Amino acid sequence: MSVYTAEQKHKGPILSKSRREKTVSILCLILLIVLALIVMFPIYWIFRSSLMSNGELYAYPPAFTPPAWRFENYPETLKSFEYLKFLGNTMTILIPAVLGAVVTATMGGYAFARLRFRGKKFLFTLCVGSMLLPSMVTLIPIFFAWSKLGLVNTYWPLILPHFCGGGAFNIFLIRQFVKTVPRELDEAATIDGCGYFRILIFIIVPAIKSAMIVVGLLKFIELWNDLLQQVTYITRRDRYTLALGLNIFRGSFNDDWSSIMCATCLSFIPGIVFYLIGQKYFVEGIVMTGMKN
Amino acid sequence: MTVLTKKHMIRYNRGETRAAWICLLPSVIGLVCITYIPMIASFTLSLFNWNGLGEMKYIGLDNYIRLFTRDTKFYGSLLTTLEYACLSVIGSIIYSMIIAMLLNRKVPARGFFRAVFYLPYVLPVLAVYLGWKWLFDYNHGLFNYLIKLNGGTSVKFLDSSTMVTPSLALIAVWLSGNLIVIFLAGLQNVPRTYHEAAEIDGANAWHRFWKITIPCMTPIIFYNLLMSLVTNLQVITPALSLTQGGPGTGSYFMCYMLYTQAFKSHKYGYGSAIAVILFLIIAVFTGILFATSKGWIFYEGDEKE
Repeated sequence: MSVYTAEQKHKGPILSKSRREKTVSILCLILLIVLALIVMFPIYWIFRSSLMSNGELYAYPPAFTPPAWRFENYPETLKSFEYLKFLGNTMTILIPAVLGAVVTATMGGYAFARLRFRGKKFLFTLCVGSMLLPSMVTLIPIFFAWSKLGLVNTYWPLILPHFCGGGAFNIFLIRQFVKTVPRELDEAATIDGCGYFRILIFIIVPAIKSAMIVVGLLKFIELWNDLLQQVTYITRRDRYTLALGLNIFRGSFNDDWSSIMCATCLSFIPGIVFYLIGQKYFVEGIVMTGMKN
Repeated sequence: MTVLTKKHMIRYNRGETRAAWICLLPSVIGLVCITYIPMIASFTLSLFNWNGLGEMKYIGLDNYIRLFTRDTKFYGSLLTTLEYACLSVIGSIIYSMIIAMLLNRKVPARGFFRAVFYLPYVLPVLAVYLGWKWLFDYNHGLFNYLIKLNGGTSVKFLDSSTMVTPSLALIAVWLSGNLIVIFLAGLQNVPRTYHEAAEIDGANAWHRFWKITIPCMTPIIFYNLLMSLVTNLQVITPALSLTQGGPGTGSYFMCYMLYTQAFKSHKYGYGSAIAVILFLIIAVFTGILFATSKGWIFYEGDEKE
């Protein structure tokens, strides 16, 4: 470090600092762009592969853009990949399960946040504790319970459990949000003659709408990706979900990577659409989740 | 006021209690019927020999003894699971922390970048694995092309028992967009005044990162660490969809072992014993995390409720 005169000391660092800051900013931006390209590249590569024939795919060196954009691959793939049926089956499971989870988690979260009753602490500990219990551990007994009821190969085992509070994490999340709603609102409503359920519906729910949407979206992703439960309970082909369908499709088209990549891209679509719809809430809601821990 | 309500007014209102129980009924049913009772059932079942149809035979700790002494694949499975969990937890925490730090700066099109890094998380995971299998392909995959381009020799990413775990962990890192968002939220919560004060005192960016950002972020790091550890120790999807546990025990994760032993070989007692061990492993890890947390987690005084 050189020695500054008083004047330099005053001017020098400020100037150089802003210049340095600018360089750092630009470097960071470049790094960010590079990383973004790396992260996106697999998705691009999959998409690009879906538009090529198998001959082109196996050529060396691989082409970075499809030599001919073979969009006809998609209708071709749809002939053997029952996309719409699988998607329909998936939605038959997901929509009721997500709704059930959101409603029951909201009720539970509200009770934990607002209502006073005996045993609340104990119950809350049990609830939070279950967050750390691996769900794998309960797989075998629950499977036998469902098979005793004769409901294996139906969608009930994949739907009904989500009507039970939608998981401890979601109850906890809703509770944290309800706590941010000013209590004065409840009190005013009580004075106006509202009962607990009316408070929940007319005061709490509108105030925590975004949290409920986040719970719904997170649940959606979780169930969408829960291959294990689907593999365990669904073995009949006509009941297959998108994930199971894709898995079996890969099995039967072992080396036809062009078709497999088409099917993969088709399965990406709902995820992307759904993300574009929910993006605002995701960020908003997850930002709040992070805060609350 | 609050003191008053807490100390003197604990008389539970009947209507309120009833409303609370009605609201909590689904959750309580869930906790009892699909969490705690099945847990106990799992523990019990692990002491029996049962093929799912015939008679259940009590065999004490035999299932466990067999696992630890006679099952040739058990230790492989255990090591694979631990290796995968370590690699993917550490990898995804570092990766998402770096991205979050970059996104926390004033960058143009921040929303767009955030969307880019978050996107892998929302894609259907099975499709993601299929896509990556193609990228990892030995002869025609992108990665091996890039390696050969730079003069290397092709790597069997998914077809060698040593490479398969790190390769799958790499996918897990790529998928960890949700951690980024949580980290980002935490970073935005770090008081600017701390940084400004430190800057005036002459601390450089490196020091500020270690002395301000990291300490303020420890609660969030703890949360992310805990959650991704619990999830990654329960990994099964890549084995179910891509590798079927192989090659060797390279992707024979404990959950996958449980699944195949129980649902493919119909050894339900044996599968339950694996479940119990998995439960204990997760309990030990969470225990360690919680026990050490007091030492390294920094809570701001005013954040306590």
